[in-house]
Amino acid sequence: MGLKRNVPLSAALGYKGQGPFLAFILHRVGGAGMAIFITMHVLSTFAEMRGLAIGDALNKVYTSPPFQIFILFCVLFHAINGLRITLLDIFHAKLMPHYRKIIAVEWVVFILVFGFAAVSVVATAIGRM
Amino acid sequence: MEVTVKIFRYNPEKDARGNYVTYKIEAEPTDRILDVLEHIKGKTDGALSFRRSCAHGVCGSDAMRINGRNRLACKVLVRDVGANITIEPLLGMKVKKDLIVDMEPFFNNYKKMTPYLVNNSPLPADGRERLQSPEQRARFDESTKCILCAACTTSCPSFWANDEYFGPAAFVTAHRFIFDSRDEGASQRLMVLAETDGTVRCHTAYNCTDACPREIHITQAIGDLKMAMVTGKLE
Ligand code: SF4
Ligand code: FES
Repeated sequence: MGLKRNVPLSAALGYKGQGPFLAFILHRVGGAGMAIFITMHVLSTFAEMRGLAIGDALNKVYTSPPFQIFILFCVLFHAINGLRITLLDIFHAKLMPHYRKIIAVEWVVFILVFGFAAVSVVATAIGRM
Repeated sequence: MEVTVKIFRYNPEKDARGNYVTYKIEAEPTDRILDVLEHIKGKTDGALSFRRSCAHGVCGSDAMRINGRNRLACKVLVRDVGANITIEPLLGMKVKKDLIVDMEPFFNNYKKMTPYLVNNSPLPADGRERLQSPEQRARFDESTKCILCAACTTSCPSFWANDEYFGPAAFVTAHRFIFDSRDEGASQRLMVLAETDGTVRCHTAYNCTDACPREIHITQAIGDLKMAMVTGKLE
């Protein structure tokens, strides 16, 4: 007797972990975003080779500025956060005690790099109009 | 002050699923959440079920989710969480009744760590203690503080997904013995930790470190274990 142990996504996301948990979630969002992008890319190339209209439609989606900004977010966050995880894993004895400060540094780096990239995408899109 | 306390309730004899019941009570800002629960159980609803024993952060029996984070009810004050309090059972365990969860999977994982000193060598010549320097003791000092409350393991996303995953508390126990200079069971434990449900599933979300009421640097301890597995060295 007893309730099942399943943890629904809503309960998992509702857990009040701190900054590192947010990075953990966004890392997975980044991974999923890249998987979606690559799948769309492969499908659209395949469809275009066969002359299917869906290929062009998919192409339009992932070359649109909002999608590009989303995919930039995914790639950059995944890469920068991955770097942070790797450094903490390798130099854990020295760095782990400072993990909160290191995550703050990661956010600063990410915001600068992502901000620059996003502004470039928007400027290019405006230039094209 | 008046506090509004929303508590997860589940009676296996009556309910198909859990629900929340809200109570409004008077409490002091310096009351502990455990006092609030005792008050409700004593004055309003005697059927409310939760575990507690020492009431002083020693036994580890009253870990629960308080306003969305794993905490010991006897270590959190009302003023720490405010006038709106939500209390729920630990995530990732079967709920037996209200705030009581089935700890069996947790202790099964604990047992897999061989949680006792392994030493088959003959006693020292004087037949007395196996001596240890303060430095050798310091290596695993942190991990001796664990009270097996399960706050860490049940805050871990890898455990939420799979309760076969040994989880942070088991790793802390492994750390406590593996880095003890008197112990001889390190290689056997490291083999267990290298299994698919071992440290490889730790993705450094740090929820465990944040949840630990004993302030053990759990993720760092897991890092020590990962390094020992890669290098084969315990120093
Ligand atoms: S490591 Fe901390 S949170 Fe985990 S069981 Fe031990 S005392 Fe509880
Ligand atoms: S009742 Fe013992 S730790 Fe809280």
